[in-house]
Amino acid sequence: MTKKNKIHHASFRDPSGFLFHDGDVLRRSIQPIYFPQYKKLKESGFFKILNQKNLLIPHTETSVSENQIIITPEKIPFVTNPYEWSFEQYKQAALLTLKIQNFALSKGFILKDASAFNVTFHKGKPILIDTLSFDFYKEDTPWRAYKQFITHFLGPLVLAKYHGTEMLKMMQVHIDGIPVELISSLLPFRSQFSPILYSNIHLLAKMEHKHKVDYEGKAKIAKLSKNAQKKILETLYSFISKLTLNKASEWGDYYSKTNYDTDAFSNKIALIREWIMRLSPKSLIDFGGNDGTFARTVIDDVAEILVTDIDSNAIDLNFQKVRDNNEVNLLPFVSDVLQPSPGIGFDNTERETLIKRLIKFSPDVTLALALVHHITLSGNIPFEKSASFFASFSKKLIIEFPKREDSWVDSLLTRKREFINHFDFYNEKNFEKAFNVYFNLEKKTVLEGTKRIIYLYKKK
Amino acid sequence: MKFLYFDPGLGAMIVQALVAVVAGILLFTKNLLYKIKIILGFKSKDDEYDSIDIDNNNIEPDDEKE
Repeated sequence: MTKKNKIHHASFRDPSGFLFHDGDVLRRSIQPIYFPQYKKLKESGFFKILNQKNLLIPHTETSVSENQIIITPEKIPFVTNPYEWSFEQYKQAALLTLKIQNFALSKGFILKDASAFNVTFHKGKPILIDTLSFDFYKEDTPWRAYKQFITHFLGPLVLAKYHGTEMLKMMQVHIDGIPVELISSLLPFRSQFSPILYSNIHLLAKMEHKHKVDYEGKAKIAKLSKNAQKKILETLYSFISKLTLNKASEWGDYYSKTNYDTDAFSNKIALIREWIMRLSPKSLIDFGGNDGTFARTVIDDVAEILVTDIDSNAIDLNFQKVRDNNEVNLLPFVSDVLQPSPGIGFDNTERETLIKRLIKFSPDVTLALALVHHITLSGNIPFEKSASFFASFSKKLIIEFPKREDSWVDSLLTRKREFINHFDFYNEKNFEKAFNVYFNLEKKTVLEGTKRIIYLYKKK
Repeated sequence: MKFLYFDPGLGAMIVQALVAVVAGILLFTKNLLYKIKIILGFKSKDDEYDSIDIDNNNIEPDDEKE
């Protein structure tokens, strides 16, 4: 029988069931309250269709008893959170949710949740991971998850459109979605003239405000026909499909603005690829990997690749390539090395820290190219701390150290003005000394035609 | 009323009726413009954007695996 398995830290809000760790495997326990729904979803073939279309994470039925049904979902190697998505990724997650709700309606079901945290990226596409998010459709009832869709999806997307992708990071602080009245107040005045934005956000905010005090739940609930609901879904879908950002960010076109002459650049690509291939990694993470140029040199040879960058636009470019090429083993996401995602939610464990997820992912190779000078000189992080950070999850680390003579480093140092002497420590010797505390040096080479050294380190 | 573990927001339930009316008008206008554009030759019939509908016509039958 089931021993005392550890219940998943995020899985406590829904009485239909909960996730738990069975040793290394993540499983889902379905409670009797949800048996009718689960049976219907299974027997009608609904699950099967969504699985085959790659819209819902597939699962296998592990055990059935009168107290619980246990299912095992397909393993997702690395879960990204909504505040780690680029604009296009966020859009696709929103469209996925609408698509599923629309389809569910046609089959007599609804999504009872429209949380952005029910979606993650897997094999290059957004996918619904909350298998128990479905409920029976009750004729003519409005969509119960509508407001959640607005606060988790439409709101953040539209805020990002007008104010930039930094707005998407608000989801880290608003795990239950950005409050409607806040969204409404942040949108520019001209949004009042957009029928979609007026009705779905501004009007909703006014209504919320008006009905705030109805504690007894006595006010009438309006009826909404299935067709009317479908119309809402379709207009939202169409509107979100066409959303674009008003401005791009600074790192987007990175590789055309860098320091490398073309020969040096191709040398670097060849060298990095050769070093990675020698290690035959099954998994790899590229920090500051921008649009994935370096990661793609080994995409056919590494089973799981993560590419992360602080720049949302670069991640968008990367994601576009993933879609264009139908890549299934490369996952781009946004993160800041100087402040990786914290644990949030109840007890600060509902959503896991980035570092914990990286430790679990346990990449065979970590790439940190053209990164450490930014961490050290712009971020003021001492070498020792960078080394400790990388050591916490890396096995093999390929890291690039631009010397003081490198022109980027020189300009970063010059910007320090009178504090330039605080950075006298920035040199090859101190770098190596710090990293030798946590790593053993395996290879070291100067990149031809540059003032940069590439190191291959192995964690001690 | 079915038990729900989060508050859907009373205002949200009510406002959907209004949103649906707006949606209806928007879709009507969109379809009208689309048909006019086809008639006038500005758009071909297969100039479709990514649709909300899922094509569930080519679902593979269950294989007898394991």
